[in-house]
Amino acid sequence: MAPIITGLSHLANPLATPEQLATSPSQLDGVPSDLEVSLRYAGARLTQIAGILLRLPQDIVAQAVVIFTRFWVGESGSLLEFGIKDVSAASVYLVAKNSPLPKSPRSIVNVYALLEAKLPSLGELHGEAMDYDPDSHYVSEGTYQASRSLLMKIEAQMLRKFGFQTHVATPYALCINYLQALDVIGRPKGEDVAARSFAYLNTSLLNPQLPYLTNQPSSLATASVYLAARELEVKLPGGEWWEVFDVDREELGFLVVGMLSTEGFILDEQKKWERRKIPMTVAEVEDEIDRRRILNGED
Amino acid sequence: MTGKSRWTDDKDDAVVAAQRKKEREEKKRAKAEKQRRIEEAQLRHQNEARPGSTPNGHEDSDRPAKRRKVTPGADEQHGESQPRELLRFDASGWGPCRHVDNFERLNHIEEGSYGWVSRARETATGEIVALKKLKMDNLNDGFPITAMREIQTLMQASHLHIVELREIVVGTSLNDVFMVMEFLEHDLKTLQEDMSEPFAPSELKTILLQLTSAVAYLHFHWILHRDLKTSNILMNNRGEIKVADFGMARFTGDPPPALTQLVVTLWYRAPELLLGTTTYDSAIDMWSLGCIFAELLTKEPLFQGSRELDQLLKIFDLLGPPTTESWPTFRRLPNARAMKLPPSPSPHLSPQQSLRRKFPILTGSGVSLLASLLSLNPEHRLTAEETLQHEYFRDEPRPKSKSMMPTFPSKAGQERRRRRASPNAPQRGDAPKIDGNMDSGGIFGRREDIEGGAGFQLKMG
Repeated sequence: MAPIITGLSHLANPLATPEQLATSPSQLDGVPSDLEVSLRYAGARLTQIAGILLRLPQDIVAQAVVIFTRFWVGESGSLLEFGIKDVSAASVYLVAKNSPLPKSPRSIVNVYALLEAKLPSLGELHGEAMDYDPDSHYVSEGTYQASRSLLMKIEAQMLRKFGFQTHVATPYALCINYLQALDVIGRPKGEDVAARSFAYLNTSLLNPQLPYLTNQPSSLATASVYLAARELEVKLPGGEWWEVFDVDREELGFLVVGMLSTEGFILDEQKKWERRKIPMTVAEVEDEIDRRRILNGED
Repeated sequence: MTGKSRWTDDKDDAVVAAQRKKEREEKKRAKAEKQRRIEEAQLRHQNEARPGSTPNGHEDSDRPAKRRKVTPGADEQHGESQPRELLRFDASGWGPCRHVDNFERLNHIEEGSYGWVSRARETATGEIVALKKLKMDNLNDGFPITAMREIQTLMQASHLHIVELREIVVGTSLNDVFMVMEFLEHDLKTLQEDMSEPFAPSELKTILLQLTSAVAYLHFHWILHRDLKTSNILMNNRGEIKVADFGMARFTGDPPPALTQLVVTLWYRAPELLLGTTTYDSAIDMWSLGCIFAELLTKEPLFQGSRELDQLLKIFDLLGPPTTESWPTFRRLPNARAMKLPPSPSPHLSPQQSLRRKFPILTGSGVSLLASLLSLNPEHRLTAEETLQHEYFRDEPRPKSKSMMPTFPSKAGQERRRRRASPNAPQRGDAPKIDGNMDSGGIFGRREDIEGGAGFQLKMG
């Protein structure tokens, strides 16, 4: 039996159990699973963009995306009970609060109001979000009070559904550490490999297979290094080097295939929601489900 | 600070990258020829070693040939066919909070700055626990950050001498949040008040060892407790002490982030904090540990200052004021720049000598340990790991075994506790600042004026 390490909290994450992954409250509520996947992806992306607008470092943004993603599995939140925009905002607020760079409720409310106003559809979230000045956008006092109290309410509900387990370990530092151990950093293309590895880690946050909920950061970091080095044709040591980082071949292969699938998934999602607004609130999700019923001739 | 993501490429990066790319390409071209020859040689070699495999085998031909070694065949070549043991991580999972109705409240124990504590029984198991209802003031910011840190640090601290946080349970209202913790009969402060004599030297060593091991664990895991004091150290009737109340605790790093100096109950607060440092480390907990050590010797808190300045004076009174030799960077601390030091009360006594005079019953190694913990210069203070190795714990009398430790009737068990006046941990607020517009009234003048504030101000001469 392999040794099991507990308590190495800076390296390890609480993972979702198979039961938690098998049943989601949204599915029990009758949300079609493809819609659930789309909404989870849209919310993760919204969280990422809000994090950038709030000038948060990627390590903290990634934690917020993981918290957001965890919220929808197991006995947690249903998409017919919570809107992805509200949960995304509370995820960023909660994670930033625990970080060295807390954000005020007002900053969060402003940024999400800006995202809502400027970015009506997911297609437009692309790229240009980085150019907006979050300070230029603010809401009226009444709207702010209402938004803030909603933010607090959802934060409290998230904490309850997590049993106050809000710890997230990210793979970024590990990834650099592994690249150093493999003597890639400092060699030609070393920085390119690091950048590509990080790109894989970042896009994996959006992956519908939820790798951050099913694999430890060490495995994610190893898979990203494997892919980046292969694509940039940087040689890594011979032998099964990933075992040094406690990843077996099967897990590595599974993650590599998963990470490579992100691009195709995102392109499909973009096509799917090209001309329509992704439903960001509970009411919009209900409308979308009704619309599908009518289209399928069920009414 | 966060103007831009660290991972974003900017123009400078692009220029540098382009330049490097050029250089690399030159090198690459030179290497390419050499590389190809090596690879060919290797391929030939491999084919000889594994007859039947073709140069391009079953893998993509555009991949460098060296990578071929990652196939299982490579293992056989090196005779490493035994499966290796890989570490597995288990950080458990998450699930929704249970309802507080699973517990039956028995009696109120204490009201602290962060909540109300009661003794309770879990209905299903009959187990006795301590139930702490969190105070939810300042709801403008949602769930209090102090409570969040307490929960996070305690959840990740699993040690025999740190109080166990079993779970968080909730009530029907979103503001009803309770921490379920193991129940211990005593806290050291209340216990001492009821004892006619201080702990025996062997008992004291046991308590101090247990306490230090807990602090060493916390520091190893990058957690600062920031409010170590006798009332936060619990004791059961099985001779075990446990560190509790993580309301001030937080994670730190190396180099330490900027932190508030408004931490640690005044009597246990390290001199660098009193002097306004914002970059401190685990040494502040070690100072508190020294104060606790001294308090356990006499049952009396060592430095009972009435406010920050008075606290500093009491410290300097016993240990002598810092000198440029003993603490070279002391003058750079915000509140020390313009500070006039009081004359050394006993100029011929070293800190060790005055501690020996104050604690005549303490052995030589005990005095040396206490002096190392109460070093004014945080860099000279012992770490928790070093403390555990100190000869004091090896000298006679040896630490008493847990089973031989005395037991006491429990106050928390049934009775409401008597509270004696002692300061509380500082509240969040503005940190002390140096006032630039000062008269020459002497640095310790107008003490009354500064009494009310969260911190204190020193006068520029």
